[in-house]
Amino acid sequence: MSQIEIIDILKIYTIGDLNIRAVDNVSMKIEKGEFLSVVGHSGSGKTTLISIMGGIIRPTTGRVLFEGIDISSLNDEKLSEYRNEKIGFMFQFASLLPILTAKENVLLPRIFSPKGKSKNGKEAEEYLDMVGIGEKINAYPSQLSGGQQRRVAIARALMNDPQVILADEPTGDLDEETEAEIMELFKRLNKEKKVTFIFITHNLDLARQAQKQIRMTHGVIKEI
Amino acid sequence: MTKEFTIFSLALKNLKRKPLRTGILIVAIGLLVSVLVFALSFVRRVDSSIRITSDRLGSDLLIVPTGSRGAAEDVLLENKVKTFYMDKGIIDRVKNIKGIDRLTYQTYLVTITGVCCDVPETIVVAFNQDTDFVIKPWLTKKLGRELKKGEAIVGSESAFNIRLGLTEVDSVLFGNIFKMVGVLDKTGTGLDNAIFIDDKNIDDILQKGKADIKPGQISVIFAKVQKGYDPYEVAGNIEDSIIEADTVARKDIGKSLINTLRDINRIFSVTVMLASILSIFLVWAVFSAIANERSKEVGIMRAIGAKENHVVRIFFLEVFVIGSIGSILGIVSGTALSFLLSKSFIILKNLSNDLSIAERIFIGILSLLAGTGICIVGALSPIQRIKKLEPLLAIKEE
Ligand SMILES: Nc1ncnc2c1ncn2[C@@H]1O[C@H](COP(=O)(O)OP(=O)(O)OP(=O)(O)O)[C@@H](O)[C@H]1O
Ligand SMILES: [Mg+2]
Repeated sequence: MSQIEIIDILKIYTIGDLNIRAVDNVSMKIEKGEFLSVVGHSGSGKTTLISIMGGIIRPTTGRVLFEGIDISSLNDEKLSEYRNEKIGFMFQFASLLPILTAKENVLLPRIFSPKGKSKNGKEAEEYLDMVGIGEKINAYPSQLSGGQQRRVAIARALMNDPQVILADEPTGDLDEETEAEIMELFKRLNKEKKVTFIFITHNLDLARQAQKQIRMTHGVIKEI
Repeated sequence: MTKEFTIFSLALKNLKRKPLRTGILIVAIGLLVSVLVFALSFVRRVDSSIRITSDRLGSDLLIVPTGSRGAAEDVLLENKVKTFYMDKGIIDRVKNIKGIDRLTYQTYLVTITGVCCDVPETIVVAFNQDTDFVIKPWLTKKLGRELKKGEAIVGSESAFNIRLGLTEVDSVLFGNIFKMVGVLDKTGTGLDNAIFIDDKNIDDILQKGKADIKPGQISVIFAKVQKGYDPYEVAGNIEDSIIEADTVARKDIGKSLINTLRDINRIFSVTVMLASILSIFLVWAVFSAIANERSKEVGIMRAIGAKENHVVRIFFLEVFVIGSIGSILGIVSGTALSFLLSKSFIILKNLSNDLSIAERIFIGILSLLAGTGICIVGALSPIQRIKKLEPLLAIKEE
């Protein structure tokens, strides 16, 4: 059984009379421990696709199976648990809560976790260290640069030890050096903990570092 | 930094981000609750005074001269100085009514400073110690024996009001010298303002001619009804057969006061209701605004795994904190207000009973529930809307 299997996924957005087929009948299988990159033009449907995998957007038709279970059949409770525990999501846009410090933002997934609470702030600090902003744990997002904010969001995605990380341009506004560090971190987690990685990027060099590359055009995928 | 980060701390942080708005909501709830506490204290106080009085008098029926119901209540409930008389012969006629168990009677006299007596205007209650069951419990407790002729004992309030607290002092009442032998404990009735003497002194008082009373007159009969008899029925029989007497059943004591109170009550109710609606509306407006402001944040939280339930919990905690802080402030200020204003309300000033601690706690809890409840009701629909937000928003809006 594949870790994730998507079957005939169609996502149509309707704006006025216009129907946009953001994801157009896509099927694919992702095995545990895969390291996958997704490239494609702006508007080609990359974000929509991984959001559907992550249980954040419901497809118009089609099914997403996680370890054989159709996630669209889950109720809010179970689907939220899926997002919380199985998936680590790194959003394309700034996604930190402004009233929380870096550390609290990283801890946020934990307070929604059914098994949560047992772990203290130590782990959050370790993750912040790992992404290179260990000295900013008490800073608020407004006190951080764009790149620093992104790194906090990366640390947050790692917090609940997810099995799959869906990263939407995770190194978008990072310098090359940090970008390389983050990629190393991803590779290490992928190797050591068998975490599955699917990351979207516009950087073809980065994309090539993945075992498997996918190109998306007009909602359709092609392996390259 | 060992402080744990929980849903509750998240809610508190949310409240702190707009302190003015949070403060205004808290004050609004506080005002509402203080009006509620004040109104409840007022009404409950009048109500419980009446109940305590009717209980303490220890009789099922009062029999008073026709047309003197109000005056009797004024004396017994509100400490007013009034007199009313009927013929002593009525005692025997009441005795003959079916269902009467035992009875006793009292005669009320009024002292007038300088004219007859040493003391300022006060009711003097002449009671029959052989049959009495109204004063006796208090007398036994304090004096441990009967009052002798020429002795007087004073009620707790009158001791304070007219400085009769000094015992073993002689005072002139209606031309006779009385020895003050003590002060009764507080009974919580209007009788706390009276001076008590034995009925046997009446003849001496009549002889001196300084009291406005004729021989053979009494003011009130207290009657107990035999087991199995309905006090109302017995009262009806008394009124039917004795034209010169009116009756007041224990449960009806204070009815006229309650009737006047009803209007005040209504004003309070309308005020509290309007204030509640206003508060609900305010909470609704504020939380609707909050719902809009935070839709992206809620979307993010949902996307990283917050359940509907978590989102609801965060917002309800905020509502709850506002509601309970506001209510507690309101309870404190409402209670303070009821203390302060009790002196300027005649209706309260004349009542002997203050609210018990238990009653104040009861009012407090009730108001806390009401204040918090109103916050929750107001926030219900905005929170319902927030709960249904899609996680989707998180990845879009910049
Ligand atoms: N909420 C929405 N409502 C309507 N249309 C949408 C919505 N979200 C996305 N779309 C449309 O769906 C298509 C795919 O969008 P998507 O965000 O998946 O693209 P993308 O490949 O991630 O682009 P980018 O590289 O710019 O992030 C686009 O044409 C976009 O306009
Ligand atoms: Mg995108």
